[in-house]
Amino acid sequence: DSWGIFTFLCAALCNLPALPALNCSEELGAGQSIQQTYDLTRYLEHQLRTLAGTYLNYLGPPFNEPDFNPPRLARAERVPSATVDLDLWRGLTDNARLAANYRAYSRLLCYLRVLDGQVGTAELRHRLAHFCASLQGLVLSIGGVMSSLGYPLPAGPAAPPAPPGAPAAPNDFLKKMDDFWLLKELQTWLWRSAKDFNRLKKKVPPAVVTLRLEARGF
Amino acid sequence: VSPAADPAVISPQDPTLLIGSSLVATCTVSPDFPLKAEDLYWTLNGRRLPAASYAALGPSTLSVALARLNGSRQQSGDNLVCHSRDGGILAGSCLYVGLPPEKPVNITCWSKNMKDLTCKWAPGTEGETFLHTNYTLKYKRRWYGQDNTCQEYHTAGTYSCHIPKDLALFTPYEIWVEASNRLGVAVSDVVMLDILDVVTTDPPSDVHVSRVGDLEDQLSVRWSSPPALKDFLFQAKYQIQYRVEDSSEWKVGGRRRCRGTARGGRGSGCSHLAPLQVVDDVGNQTSCRLAGLRPGTVYFVQVRCNPFSIYGSKKAGIWSDWSNPTAASTPRSERAAGGCDPKGGEQNTTLRRELKQFFGWVKKHAYGCSNLGIKLYDQWRVWLQKSHKTRNQVGKEP
Repeated sequence: DSWGIFTFLCAALCNLPALPALNCSEELGAGQSIQQTYDLTRYLEHQLRTLAGTYLNYLGPPFNEPDFNPPRLARAERVPSATVDLDLWRGLTDNARLAANYRAYSRLLCYLRVLDGQVGTAELRHRLAHFCASLQGLVLSIGGVMSSLGYPLPAGPAAPPAPPGAPAAPNDFLKKMDDFWLLKELQTWLWRSAKDFNRLKKKVPPAVVTLRLEARGF
Repeated sequence: VSPAADPAVISPQDPTLLIGSSLVATCTVSPDFPLKAEDLYWTLNGRRLPAASYAALGPSTLSVALARLNGSRQQSGDNLVCHSRDGGILAGSCLYVGLPPEKPVNITCWSKNMKDLTCKWAPGTEGETFLHTNYTLKYKRRWYGQDNTCQEYHTAGTYSCHIPKDLALFTPYEIWVEASNRLGVAVSDVVMLDILDVVTTDPPSDVHVSRVGDLEDQLSVRWSSPPALKDFLFQAKYQIQYRVEDSSEWKVGGRRRCRGTARGGRGSGCSHLAPLQVVDDVGNQTSCRLAGLRPGTVYFVQVRCNPFSIYGSKKAGIWSDWSNPTAASTPRSERAAGGCDPKGGEQNTTLRRELKQFFGWVKKHAYGCSNLGIKLYDQWRVWLQKSHKTRNQVGKEP
């Protein structure tokens, strides 16, 4: 029927690379990309709950006690901290925020991988490996969002093998504290990223919607 | 902020101890901190230690005495922590309390298709060592000096390792396992073997089970020999096991007594035993026929394989895993020829069971019907069959 032919033609036309209207497909990509990143962030939050529970039990009390709040010694600052002034954070541009997320997760991934090499039980290693794979996916996903929005990726090695300028913990107890704070920061970053991506989702230009309407406007 | 010294220092830091030993630990506050010995307290794994076990060794040093330590609560070490009065953490030390490992035992190895070697073992300790224990499998060719270390662990369970390549045949190997933890090392006894002694293969593939024409008590099983058979010089012998769908008991080979539930009690007329026939390798296919089966029944069949006469040796190898179960059903004719089946098939068995339960209930709860019982039902069934026979003899209904 003629309506079918029209919609088919429109679809075919939209796929031709020459058409300027094709810019929308990139933003279409960005929308999906942001949604996927948001979903991945939530999934990681969920995974982290289980991982952290298991890991803190492995560290033993008091690390697995709910109200545990050890001091953050100077050395612990090497882990990217998520505790930044919220107004300051919101005041950043999308690009800056995305870049900060990208960098933070890349470094957090490094630290986690080091952890994976040292940790005792097979179950923990398995969980950590799975989490690292998902976190790697998040880093790539954020990179994808930045590309689709036309932002350059942050410079520097994506995942340096050893975190620079970070001395190993001088004793086992301090290492346990470092591990605790790593998980804690990861938790806060993921919680905040979810909000960031949710907000970004709503910001993606509605030109996408407009184009669809135009295509069907015959 | 200057690189802050840690608020306090604990000694000993991260010690390793044998179960039952005692320890005196000290916490010394850094001179930068305005804390005195009386401002401190200790916890072990989150639990406050009694003040009676403390002693002030100096203005800013507090000690604690721990006696007869138990094995560590977690393998990452017990957390001994020195706190300031308000609960803040000043320093911590991880205590590793446990036992040295015992010799690993029961090393068994097998080689899939003569290409690799997988070994498993059991830890020597009945109970726990409480410490993280590392296991290393080592091997070397006898009379050749160099020790090799296995790299791929946990391939067949926690205590296992896989050696994927570079193994020589016709050569005795020495294999052993070393267990080590913070308190010591233990080495298993050495096992000596030749790869050819412990060969196994994949289970046979393409197992097909089918009926034999209309025969109610037979099924034909066919399978393919494992592919490695043609690559290597060994023959194979096979074994079949089968079971009825709703039983958990496997029967091996073909000897099977038929249990009758029909009238007359125990399986009358069913005691013929059908030995399993294993047909010698016919090309690439092998097959066998199961006999003495129950008609109208679903059977699960599995086949496994044992390589033998490897390069002409007399020894047998190791049985492969069983193939995945394949199911098939024997046909059932309308006339159950003197068989062991209850007359009329499955439906009446269920009905009969339900009736039995019903009569049991009646007996219990309805005091009047003492004559009602499952026997009544059986008699009725017999009468039914008799009258059915006479009806047939007379001929078709008008």
